[in-house]
Amino acid sequence: MIEVKDVIKMYGSLAAVDRVTFSVPKGTILGLLGPNGAGKTTTMRVITTSLPLNGGKVTVDGYDVMEAPHEVKKRIGYLPEVPPIYGDMRVVDYLKFVAEIKEVPADQTANRVGEVMEMLSLGNMGRRLIGHLSLGYRQRVGLAQALIHDPDVLILDEPTRGLDPKQILEIRKLIKSLSGHKTIILSTHILPEVSSTCDNVVIIDQGKVVAADSVESLSQRLAGGKLLELEVKGPGADVQKALENLKTIASVKQLGKETRNATKFELTTDGTMDAREEIFQCVAKNKWVIYQMNPIGMSLEDVFLKLTTKDTAA
Amino acid sequence: MNSRKLWAIIKKDIGHYFASPIGYVVLAVFYLVAGFFFWLIAVQSRSASMIPVFQNTVILLLFLTPMITMRLWSEEEKNGTAELLRTSPLTLWEIVIGKYLAVCAFFGLMLSSTIIYLIIMLATGNPDLGPVAANYLGYILAAMTFFSLGLLASTLSENQIVSAVITYGILLMLWVIGAAAGNIQGTLGDMLKYVSVFNHLDDFFKGVIDLTHFFYFASLIFLGLFFSVKVLESKRS
Repeated sequence: MIEVKDVIKMYGSLAAVDRVTFSVPKGTILGLLGPNGAGKTTTMRVITTSLPLNGGKVTVDGYDVMEAPHEVKKRIGYLPEVPPIYGDMRVVDYLKFVAEIKEVPADQTANRVGEVMEMLSLGNMGRRLIGHLSLGYRQRVGLAQALIHDPDVLILDEPTRGLDPKQILEIRKLIKSLSGHKTIILSTHILPEVSSTCDNVVIIDQGKVVAADSVESLSQRLAGGKLLELEVKGPGADVQKALENLKTIASVKQLGKETRNATKFELTTDGTMDAREEIFQCVAKNKWVIYQMNPIGMSLEDVFLKLTTKDTAA
Repeated sequence: MNSRKLWAIIKKDIGHYFASPIGYVVLAVFYLVAGFFFWLIAVQSRSASMIPVFQNTVILLLFLTPMITMRLWSEEEKNGTAELLRTSPLTLWEIVIGKYLAVCAFFGLMLSSTIIYLIIMLATGNPDLGPVAANYLGYILAAMTFFSLGLLASTLSENQIVSAVITYGILLMLWVIGAAAGNIQGTLGDMLKYVSVFNHLDDFFKGVIDLTHFFYFASLIFLGLFFSVKVLESKRS
């Protein structure tokens, strides 16, 4: 649905976006991740035709953003970083205005305005001046604006910015509910947002794509073999020795000191098969006790930091 | 050009005038000054002429124009709403013409008060309607020219004050350049005389409708709008 290929965007001699390539299949949600100033907003502005590109190609539903911007504009709903609202307009009038310039048919305008207000729980805010609304409500009006013409593609620049935790959950649920029939790109630097809403993730740093994959495989791939955390009641040194002799275990590291006869270990398995059964048998044979055993996946946060923090030592 | 989208922009921009005191203040000041001159002429000199009203309020218009044109684009840029307009299926011409027609409509409201003077003159005196029509035409053309240039200035900066000062500068230059031209001989003097708004407006106020003058105003209006579109186009990069 959205194809971004070798896109370059220069600000003067600085490349804000440097040969960025990714694609978003129809009906999926892509999370655009990166530290501040990485080029997320610039990438989104290029896709929405707001900025021309200096190289490469972007197509939305087959239409090139440089050659057929009008067709692209009809198909996208865009929520910029700062919601594009008029403080001196009433919510209803504003949404009606946006519906008119976004070519919502005249006989459906009133209906659509009602629908999106319902969708974003703006029902009783219709007559309020947008300038008098709280930050959270303004953000919702901004989202309503992006949805008003029922676009196939949504480009959302930090959609949950300025919202309280309850509102954040509501908006995430809403975005999630749109997946399947809408193609969505959302940018964020809140990592749980990506794992809870997105199908795929693209991590950008200094204008370049540093990783692009599905959310699960990315964290698995970067964890480099499986990690287990294990707490066993028994003599620490003996336990460690016994575990090290197991076939599926690559390394054993003791975590902290032995407390009340129990010791914590971090085990790295060779990743070929599930090591938990073997560990259980081994511990049971020695009449020790397992207090806890947890697989540790690498969180997206770890992945993000690993990718965007440059080796300063090198 | 899509009339529904155009109308949406016109409605929105007229709305902005009345969402803040600026629309009301500009109308009030205009009504007050225009009323004062009409009273002065009609009651004091007992002449059934619109000329003094227009001649004096056109100066006022020089000062009110920046007030009503400065926000047209500057505010959109500052608010971030420019991004909404830019990413909507609108052409730049639709945006520029829509905004321009919104100021013109607002000016229509200002001008509507003068209809009352016309009615009073018709009821109590015997005004010559031909020259009055020429007066109106010249006045409206001058105002539309001011607005077009004000809109252009507004596209140049996201700071309203900067836009207003640029507008003042352009309009005052166009106004006084004719006086300066009197001291300069030859082609340069003639050229400056041609550029001056005042020289073109004067014939309309004398009751003469000359196509040369009409062409002058029409081309300035077009140039203002054309360059507004060009400036917005260049802002995309």
